[in-house]
Amino acid sequence: MEIKGKATEKESQSPKFTLPVDSEHKATEFRLLSVAAPHMRAFHLSWVSFFACFVSTFAAPPLLPIIRDNLNLTATDIGNAGIASVSGAAFARIALGTACDLFGPRLASASLILLTAPAVYFTSIASSPTSFLLVRFFTGFSLATFVSTQFWMSSMFSARVVGTANGAAAGWGNLGGGATQLIMPLVFGLIRDIGALKFTAWRIAFFIPALFQTLSAFAVLIFGKDLPDGNFRPLQKAGAKPKDKLSNVFYHGITNYRGWILALTYGYCFGVELTVDNIIAEYFYDRFDLKLHTAGIIAASFGLANIVSRPAGGLISDAVAKRFGMRGRLWALWIVQTLGGVFCIILGRVESLGASILVMIVFSFFCQAACGLTFGVVPFVSRRSLGLISGMTGGGGNLGAVLTQLIFFKGSKYSKERGITLMGVMIICCTFPICFVYFPQWGGMFCGPSSKTVATEEEYYLSEWNTEEKEKGLHQGSLKFADNSRSERGGRADSETRPADETPSAYV
Amino acid sequence: MAARRLLLASLVLSCSLLPCYGAVLFSSLQKTLAVTASPTSGQVLKGGVDKITVTWGLNQTLAAGTDSTYKTIKVKLCYAPLSQVDRAWRKTVDRIKKDRTCQHKIVARPYNSANKTFQSLEWTVQRDVPTATYFIRAYAYNADESEVAYGQTTDAHKTTNLFQVESITGRHMTMDVCSICFSVFSVVSLLVFFYIEKRKSKRSQ
Repeated sequence: MEIKGKATEKESQSPKFTLPVDSEHKATEFRLLSVAAPHMRAFHLSWVSFFACFVSTFAAPPLLPIIRDNLNLTATDIGNAGIASVSGAAFARIALGTACDLFGPRLASASLILLTAPAVYFTSIASSPTSFLLVRFFTGFSLATFVSTQFWMSSMFSARVVGTANGAAAGWGNLGGGATQLIMPLVFGLIRDIGALKFTAWRIAFFIPALFQTLSAFAVLIFGKDLPDGNFRPLQKAGAKPKDKLSNVFYHGITNYRGWILALTYGYCFGVELTVDNIIAEYFYDRFDLKLHTAGIIAASFGLANIVSRPAGGLISDAVAKRFGMRGRLWALWIVQTLGGVFCIILGRVESLGASILVMIVFSFFCQAACGLTFGVVPFVSRRSLGLISGMTGGGGNLGAVLTQLIFFKGSKYSKERGITLMGVMIICCTFPICFVYFPQWGGMFCGPSSKTVATEEEYYLSEWNTEEKEKGLHQGSLKFADNSRSERGGRADSETRPADETPSAYV
Repeated sequence: MAARRLLLASLVLSCSLLPCYGAVLFSSLQKTLAVTASPTSGQVLKGGVDKITVTWGLNQTLAAGTDSTYKTIKVKLCYAPLSQVDRAWRKTVDRIKKDRTCQHKIVARPYNSANKTFQSLEWTVQRDVPTATYFIRAYAYNADESEVAYGQTTDAHKTTNLFQVESITGRHMTMDVCSICFSVFSVVSLLVFFYIEKRKSKRSQ
């Protein structure tokens, strides 16, 4: 909500926003059907560009029956390319997170998208298993755009709705992984019916995701804004936003243990989602003797569930936070992700087709909602290194996918159903560390907030700046954020009298 | 007791219906057809360009009446074991309906048991045939469209008389040029945007 009183002098200078905003000009409401600049426009630009990257990264799997004949691939080649497609983004996400902190999400994401578009164009001219692996590897880097969507949403939406915004942007982007299983065979069929040969048609088909990706990057650059007040560089030049140093951003990110725990747990919701995207079609095809087409539709439905499941996770996070604050967010995350693990175990053990599809859909809901819930917590871990923490968490997701595929789904050590059951067990084990996440000002799963009077939001976020930097006034952004994040104390905080005239002058 | 009888009866009934439901096993077929093809052992054929001449007919040394049920002959291009390694989508299984060894149809011709001459066909290797090692097999079908006999150009272990096909790449010069142009365009447009941004911020100062 707008802060009256000392904000009035600023209001006459600041631009009018369509949505209600807080003191950082972040929107306090999330209106899905609006395209108002800058908040909702940023939302739509970020999810569409992320969707395009997902479509490109997973464009090959539905066309593999044709590609494997054209390029003479073996099952090992296909498996390796699948692992390569998700491994590149593991480190690209960390790099992009840092780039967002330094240059802003608009430039960072558009740069990545335009620099990986060539890999998608070159897929059309791949001619061997090696070149196929390389194009899938480099195309996969574009999945790092996830970090810029989360960073962008965290910069545009306030604490009250950040979970929902993050969940919707990421969920609708992830949708691309399911949509592509339907889009690519359709485009391929159309091109072949026009008269092209099979081995040419699939190559031409790849121009579609490549062009979509290029155009979405242009849209981000032309219509997007990094922050509600404008873009990074003009703001930095005007002195309204201080420029930060890479080494400081890096240091404060990697020394925050919560970032590492969330990286691990995200590996076992999002990582599992990526793994399932890669193996589920084959699983249904082999175990239940389905046609490839049918198995593909079932596989697509796992990814398409993202349209509601991930945003629902974000909504649940925000709803729980209203009453229980950060502790509620952590509990909800732990419960939903652990249940995801339980349903994964059941999926591996179920014998009939109908039951398998049902369990898979329930499993997809919990798995993807857990992803949404994770990014209800991430925006609060660090303010200075938000991008890096988002990147670490996102990167952890991809590493989880690589690890899980290597352990359970490479070669013939485990049957697919046994692999799925064991993956479920691993989900439960790797979700447990959430119990150790503790915020002094809000508490953790098992402990309440610290009883020390110094344990406040300001104390937590300003600990990322040293005295020198505070003297230069570099910490002002974090200060505002700390103030706005007080809602993470939960329902009981509303009844506390907000010390409206307690100015943060003590920290200047 | 009645339930058990019903179960048994339905099992027997379904077993007798099996041939209609494609449960014919390859191991149950007799090799009665003689099939020869023009490619020599180890020859490499180019997809879309080179031709194969296939000749097939009943093995003359067999007793008369062996071919009384044959109605159709289908000649197919089949993958040799070398091209099946690590490729489960080309797996050989005994149940012919599930067998994925022979995925490319060369020709299907009706069979007349009265006509004892060998039939032949000159077939251009189609452009959707992938690069692999192959042999040729012919299946004889009865009136119910079930396999009843076969013949192939190689031995029982599928090791002799194999030939290779080199498929088209599917690439065209235009496509190569477009890929490179669009890629360069993407990168250059990014640099152009950076330049415009820099100019804008300099001007606004």
